[in-house]
Amino acid sequence: MYPRAFHYHRAGSLTEAVTMLSQLGDDAKLLAGGQSLIPLMKLRFANPGHLVDLNFISGTSYIQEEDGGLRFGALTRHAEIADSALAAKIPIVHDCAAGIADVQVRNRGTIGGSLAEADPSGDWAVVLMTLATEVRCLGTNGERTVPLAGFVKDAYTTALAHDELVSEVRVKIPAKGSGGAYIAFKRSAPVYPTASAAVQLTMDGDVCKDAAIVLGCVGLTAIKVTDAEVALRGHSFTDKAIKAAMEAASAAADPQSDMRGSADYKRTLVGALVKRAIEAASHRARGEQVEVSHIYA
Amino acid sequence: MGPEAAKKNWVGKPLPRKEEDRLLRGRGKFADDIKLREMLYLRFVRSPYAHAKIVSVDVSAAEALPGVVATLTGAELAPQVQPFIEIAPDPGGKIKDYALAVSKVRYQGEPVAAVVAESPSLADDAAELIQVEYEALDPVIDGEEALKDASILHEEAGTNRVWRGVFEYGDADKALKEAAYVVNIDRMHFHRFSSTPLENNVVIAQWDPKDERIYYQCNNSFPSFAIQFLAAHLQVHIDRIRVQTSDIGGSFGIKITTYPQMAVCAMASKKAGGRPVKWVETRSEHMTSSAHGNERTFRDTRVALDKNGVITAIVSRHIDDCGAYPRYEPLGCVIWSQVFPGVYRFKNARIDFSQAVTNKCPVGPNRGYSRMQHLWFLERVVDICAHELGIPPDEMRLRNYIRPEEFPYTTPNGCVYDSGDYPKMLQVAKGLIGWDDWKKKQAEARKQGRVIGIGIGTTLDSGTNNFGQSQIVNPGAPFSGNSQGANCKLDIYGEVVVAVGSCPQGQGHETTAAQVVADVLNIHPDLITVRTGFDTERNVHTGFSGTYASQFAVSGLSAVHGAAQKLKAEMKRLASSVLNTKEDDLEFGAGAQGPEVRARSTGKSINYWGLANIVNVNSAVLPVEMHDVTLNCRYIWRAPFKVPDTVKKYGSLTLTYASQLHIAVLEIDRETFIPRILDYVAVDDCGTVINPGIVEGQVYGATAHGIGAALMETCVYDAVGNMLTSTFSDYTPITAMNMPKVKYGHTETPSPHSYSGAKGMGEGGAAPIHTVSAALQDALFADGIFIDDSFNNADSLFRAMVGKEISQAKQLVRVERRT
Repeated sequence: MYPRAFHYHRAGSLTEAVTMLSQLGDDAKLLAGGQSLIPLMKLRFANPGHLVDLNFISGTSYIQEEDGGLRFGALTRHAEIADSALAAKIPIVHDCAAGIADVQVRNRGTIGGSLAEADPSGDWAVVLMTLATEVRCLGTNGERTVPLAGFVKDAYTTALAHDELVSEVRVKIPAKGSGGAYIAFKRSAPVYPTASAAVQLTMDGDVCKDAAIVLGCVGLTAIKVTDAEVALRGHSFTDKAIKAAMEAASAAADPQSDMRGSADYKRTLVGALVKRAIEAASHRARGEQVEVSHIYA
Repeated sequence: MGPEAAKKNWVGKPLPRKEEDRLLRGRGKFADDIKLREMLYLRFVRSPYAHAKIVSVDVSAAEALPGVVATLTGAELAPQVQPFIEIAPDPGGKIKDYALAVSKVRYQGEPVAAVVAESPSLADDAAELIQVEYEALDPVIDGEEALKDASILHEEAGTNRVWRGVFEYGDADKALKEAAYVVNIDRMHFHRFSSTPLENNVVIAQWDPKDERIYYQCNNSFPSFAIQFLAAHLQVHIDRIRVQTSDIGGSFGIKITTYPQMAVCAMASKKAGGRPVKWVETRSEHMTSSAHGNERTFRDTRVALDKNGVITAIVSRHIDDCGAYPRYEPLGCVIWSQVFPGVYRFKNARIDFSQAVTNKCPVGPNRGYSRMQHLWFLERVVDICAHELGIPPDEMRLRNYIRPEEFPYTTPNGCVYDSGDYPKMLQVAKGLIGWDDWKKKQAEARKQGRVIGIGIGTTLDSGTNNFGQSQIVNPGAPFSGNSQGANCKLDIYGEVVVAVGSCPQGQGHETTAAQVVADVLNIHPDLITVRTGFDTERNVHTGFSGTYASQFAVSGLSAVHGAAQKLKAEMKRLASSVLNTKEDDLEFGAGAQGPEVRARSTGKSINYWGLANIVNVNSAVLPVEMHDVTLNCRYIWRAPFKVPDTVKKYGSLTLTYASQLHIAVLEIDRETFIPRILDYVAVDDCGTVINPGIVEGQVYGATAHGIGAALMETCVYDAVGNMLTSTFSDYTPITAMNMPKVKYGHTETPSPHSYSGAKGMGEGGAAPIHTVSAALQDALFADGIFIDDSFNNADSLFRAMVGKEISQAKQLVRVERRT
């Protein structure tokens, strides 16, 4: 299928893109990596009258370290993050970038585009919610900073105004003694996961000082499982503590039955993924190298 | 014949494919690469309903759109054509099948109208403007439900049961009565899946008013069948239809059934004043409305066994679901019986076979067509019986396999298995996988609560059909036997050019045909040009030409070999005259001036240019007694078949039987329920191997297809007939990321039924489906779970293992013990 006819605009700067959005109104959409938007347009499920292309703006793709944090330009491709030694300072970020969809998608798709799309099955929000993450949003009235937890409002809905865009993503590098892991189950490489789990742990010897546990694909947005975090915090990883975290995760999940799996299955699966992510994260928190990635069918 | 004739310098060698260079450099020529002057683009308007009356179709807004040249509706098309030929006898034969729905739609995605425009995107825009009003009818989604005829798809047939036949051999009732054990299996189900060729269907049609002929460039994989349907449908002489194919990006049988789309494109071209019309199928169209594989349900199975676990009889009732229109069906209702007893020795059986229409995409031949369903059924029967009798699965197979010394083996229904050695294949496969080690590891893992299964699948890939089997489904069908054509010539400057009526989709026909001719003429295959791809005007096709059903190594290469032998005989006659020596003094080979024919006695020779020169452009020197020499030799190979006994449903249905023995070791994760293949062996026997590289490649491809079908790929419809797997995101075809490392092995039992000992191969008998099911079954017997479906993924395993569906499973199998 071919998309319906649309007007194509090439923005020369992010500020110009914002101006274009403001002038063109609701009928305009931003084109970043296009890995969600273009297929939707080809199926004619999305029919914007105007596309504002961000891909030719220089200086929007970068990974920089500053003040104990990493700054990702909005148009930084997943593949660039996966290949970056700097980004690998936060192993859970590498897990995510290296496992998203397939090579073609990773080469085009962007971190800013993915967050702004707010697909309930997207990977980035799940991972970044375990960390101290801020989203820089640029609008006609200037730039503002929104914590990620407040940025994602609902499925496909963010705090962005129509004439605003994501300009940068800022992530604090976790302190020494903290480790994280992201594990998603995908039926095949190019598809969204059936369920995913991100866990970031801060350890003090065998005792868990702090835990952040977030689930993906099992609700309208990424789900932070406070009960599971409580189950781990202040404890060592006994079978009982892990089981409690798994059960809390399954209980917090609110999945839909679809081709990726039945709701009951997803609820069980996400608990198992949490368990695995806890195991990998706890090793990493102790400074051990552990390879984890998306699990394929 | 000189001694060089018997030499095999090239056949049997892993020669790199001649096709590789152009295909790997992206220089293949595919149907969508073709652009013609004044070409128009066609888009179908498709039904969103599974079953509905068409109240009205309004094309006015579409026709008013600038750039739109014509629209076409079913109501407009129907009076201008004959309904497509139905292969079925009544009641199926009464079905009126048109390429565009006329008064009702019968599956989601059925074409209702078409529009042609100056560009593909304009055609898409116009298609959105065509307004169709529907009145929904009750959909029929399940094959067994369809047989109740609560809602009828085709009123003219009066029933959804479009075909029924009982296949009965020996005395199954007596065997059941005398059996030591009778195993009853209530219901099993083979799921609906498809092939997902990289290249979707493409048709370019031009109904040229200048010569009143229809020109097709397309990727149909059985064009000689398509033109027979099209000529009758469009009411034109078959000679007025020209079909050409070029490179084809996979078919797996699915591209056989594109003749309805070909008909619409021709009619649209006619309406557009003869401008060429191109239709390029989208992936979603391919998933919803090209063709799916046959879905089959096995009911009320009773298996008789003696005290040693030898199966003596099988009685069962099979319901095949062919979707909304039979089309190539009901051929599938007999094709499964090419492998009636599978690889097993039982003599008594009664299979009551019905085919039902349902409100789903019509089926078409799909790699392993109709036989894989039956072979899966037999393998499930064997594993379940083995378990119930406490016999290990390998031992159960050895007790029931047809024995090597019994070949050629005549099956209860008259098929002749040419050759095979199943016990040896089992031994080779067990060796490659390390059977005993895995058994030990499995036992240790079980103690730790891990769930590991080891499964065997033994399969047949029957090749080179006797089309006489169509008479078993319809005694009035005018088809029997099988044939293929080829031409071998020296062109004017002496080039060796071979043409064959096949349309390969990656099978390497150019290479294997060149290997065969190279051995006949004792020259290098690089000196031989092979023209594949169908072209009606190349005049090498018969009514069976195309590429399907595992037969090129037999039918295609026999034709090529025959044509090369004819050419060689003519070259000898001519050379013996020119060189003034006897024919048996001549030898073929390459000399200083290229390929030549030499006299051993004198050392004199004439090269191919010299021979071709005399015949083509220097013919005054051609002796009068040689005037019948053309050096342009057409040969038609015919398979040695007889018409089967249509009353007893008895006869030889296929010429060769390649066999596959696969073993899978698989673990199901207790927490995520994800099945993971830990080890996999594929042992293949396709008789004498023409090109080991090509055979090995086919085995890997077929193995991937089968593993995908077993664990990932299923066509799902909801209760009202919405197809839920119309994109790759939902259907998840297998990719390299999902593939285990496959250990390949091979055994070789030459076929006595082909000149070279080769057997057709490529479908792989869908071996992994049986094998993965067997491994899952082995893993889950301990939990009291029976694998009763050919599709299993993490979700379905979760549902079985967590208990909600176990109670049903436990009632699935019941054993009567009489000893």
